[in-house]
This record gives sequence, structure tokens and C-alpha cells, in this order.
Amino acid sequence: MLDDRILLWRLKRGSPRALRRLYGKVEADLLTLATNLLGRSDRAEDVLQDVFIRFIESIETFELTGSLKGYLAKCVANRSRDLMRRDRSRPTGPLELAERLAAQQPGPLQRAMASEQRQRLSEALGRLPYEQQEAVLLHLQTGLKFREIAEVQDISLKTAESRYRYGIDKLRSMLNGQADK
Amino acid sequence: MEPIENIEAIIRKKLHAKADVTLHDRVLARVRRAYQHEEHTTSALCEPAVRRSIMKSPITKLAVAAAIIAAVVLGLFEFIGGDGGSGVVWAEVAERLEASEAVIYRVTLSHSTLGDNAPDYSMSYLSATRSRQDAYKGAEVTQSIYCDFENETVAWVGHEMKRYSQQAMDEQTRREQHGAWSNPTKWVQEFLSRDYTELGQKTIDDELCDGIEITDPTFVTATFAVETLVARVWVSVETGYPVLLEGDMSGGGIRISGTLDQFQWDAELDESLFEPEIPEGYEET
Repeated sequence: MLDDRILLWRLKRGSPRALRRLYGKVEADLLTLATNLLGRSDRAEDVLQDVFIRFIESIETFELTGSLKGYLAKCVANRSRDLMRRDRSRPTGPLELAERLAAQQPGPLQRAMASEQRQRLSEALGRLPYEQQEAVLLHLQTGLKFREIAEVQDISLKTAESRYRYGIDKLRSMLNGQADK
Repeated sequence: MEPIENIEAIIRKKLHAKADVTLHDRVLARVRRAYQHEEHTTSALCEPAVRRSIMKSPITKLAVAAAIIAAVVLGLFEFIGGDGGSGVVWAEVAERLEASEAVIYRVTLSHSTLGDNAPDYSMSYLSATRSRQDAYKGAEVTQSIYCDFENETVAWVGHEMKRYSQQAMDEQTRREQHGAWSNPTKWVQEFLSRDYTELGQKTIDDELCDGIEITDPTFVTATFAVETLVARVWVSVETGYPVLLEGDMSGGGIRISGTLDQFQWDAELDESLFEPEIPEGYEET
């Protein structure tokens, strides 16, 4: 938190170094969140850029109440939801993400298995109701607490917890159902 | 197909996207352009001031110079181990300094306008509400300055001239002195907006230290227009506390350079240390 407060203080005083540091600190997590929510890396890039530019434009009056990453993750979720509503079309799984991840594995066998697992998981995530998918990704990938997820989705704490739990249960059901095929 | 046992762990750890270099550069460039178009608050550096009303003597000019140097170097603390990852974690240094209730340190200073009047060194004692600075020539104390921020008073005792002064701090002095002396974190934050150069490591008094340097003359506002500035800070890798602070600035024919060292962080200081000691027979200025 001290780190975030000082980063913000520096940003408000026009430090390019602070901007680079903040961007480098959160880029991967925010891009992951946006890619998984939208299922498209090109859209994820747009969201990342929009969120950062809006944040920069409001920097003078911005007051930090939690972590910067948490705040920006909420912005990514909100922006992604707006795009999804506007498009009214939900892509299936982020296949390119699974392909990209496969290259990081150590051996051919492990790589093939891991890639297949991730691909299935990505596709299953894409078939969840959007609110459940968002709850799962915000909690697991950006570390947001259920209270924060409730704020993002404008719902009660219990509903946020339920959406997460239903999402995980459905994923487990979908993936275990495929295991016997 | 194999079942996926630990779904949460896989989502948490494995479903990550990584921006390639092109994407990273492209988005960051657009964000930076937007950032450059924004207006930002400028850094308002304080001028450590002991006001004219009590600063007519060369000795008190020296105190101002010492305060300027202290301000420059104290403010640099927070840079340690910052973005560059020098090995000393700046956030931990900041927390450590914030937790330090009192500090003692030596100031060694040269000032181009003081000449032989300059003392050999000064010892500074600083608590949350008070400060004291004793200037030495050899083993003799030549002058002392006492600041009481709670009662808003400043006292000066000149032993060579056998004179003293005691008076209220004006508002500007109170604000500047309080910011400069009682809360290094304020200084730290003021300086965080500037870029610095990492100097690497060197051994100082048998301690391995990380060093950084800043040379931007606008870094500090002094009682004269600063044209050149070099300020360095060295922090012990082992303890995370500053060990040596160096500063050199010049402008308008004036040059001030000095060091702060022999630090005793988180020192226990008796309150009586800050009570002005005025020997009998001294005349009030």
C-alpha cells in the first residue's frame, strides 16, 4: 500500500518513471483479465489502453482507497462488461491464449497436456454466464475480495460469493463431464 | 480426457496472458502521450529557512546552508532501491525512517562566502518536535541553534560572541522548519517525483552501501538560484539505514558542499538536550 501511495504521489507530479513502473507492475494481470473476459486479445489491448488513459486523465483528483491494481482491475471489468453488452456477442474460448501458454511448458508431453487442459478450461470459462465468469476471474486472477467484486457488480456480498461458487461448480461439472468422454 | 483436479489453481496460475513487446510498447506509448498532455502538480520544494530576523550573522548563514544540504540529502532517502532495484528496498527504508523517533548525525560543510568562519562540523539532534544543532571548531562548540516546533520558538546561542537570541517562529519558518527537520517522510515524498542515477555499491566505513545520485538543479530551491547540483545518498545494504549523504550545489557565485554522516537512527534523546543553554553574562541580540 505504501508502494501504491508513493507511486500515485509521483504520478500526480508528472513522473514518467512512475508511469512506466505502474504499467509494468499491472500490465500482465490486467491483460490476462481482459483477455479472459473478452476472449479476444485485440479487444483486451483496447480495454487496457482505455482504462489506463482514463485513469491518467483523472489522476489529479484520484483518491486511492485500496490497491492501485485492484482499482484498475475493477475498471477493466467494467470496461469489458460495457464492450460485451455493446457487442451482444460472446466469443467462445480464448484459444490463442491457450496456444501462447503452451510454449511456456518444459517438455513436449507436459506441454501437450497442459495446453489441452488450459484450452478446455478457457472454453469452459467462456460458456459460463458472464457475471459468474467475471466473479471467478476477478477473485482468482486479480485477487479481488468478494466485497470488492460485489462493488464492481453492484450486488450484495452474498450474491458475489454465490456467483463465484456457482461458477467454480459449473466449471468442475463441465470439465469432469468431459473427462469420461 | 484427463480430469482437471484443481481448477482454481490453474485459473490463478496458468491462464495468464503475456503482452508481447510490440503490444507493450504500443499501449505504453499511447498512455504516455496521454500522460504528457495532462497537467501535473509541480514539486514544491521548501527552502529550509532560519529567517532574516535571526540570521544576520555568518554563523546563522552557515546554519541555513546546513539546512539546505540536509534538505537535499534527506529528501533523497526514499529513492533508495526504487525503480531500479538497487538491492535496498526503498519502501522498507521509508518505513524504517518513519519509525525512527529521533536521529543524531554529523554535518560537515563548506560555504564559499563563509571562509574561515565556517566551523569544522556540526552535530544535529532531531526529534519529532524539537531540534538542536551544535557547531564545532576543534573540540569547542561555537554556536547552538534550538528549534521548538510545539511552542514555535527559535533560540540561537553564539559562544564566540557571547550573544544569544530567543524569539517566536514566524509562520513560514515554522512550516519550513517543521517540514525540513521533524518529518523526513515529507521530504522523501517531495523528492520522489524526480529521476535519479544509480551509482552501484561501495564500502563506506566497512559497510557495503548502495548509492544513488541526482543532478537536476531544479531539485532544490535555495536562498540563491541553484545552477548546478550533485546530491548523493548511500544506504547500508545490511541495515537499510542511510550511512552517508553528500551534496554540492552552486549558483550566483555561491557554492555549498557538505556531507551528513555518523548517523544514529532511532536514537533515544533526553528532552533536556533541547533546552537552550545560555551561559551567564551572554548578551541578548
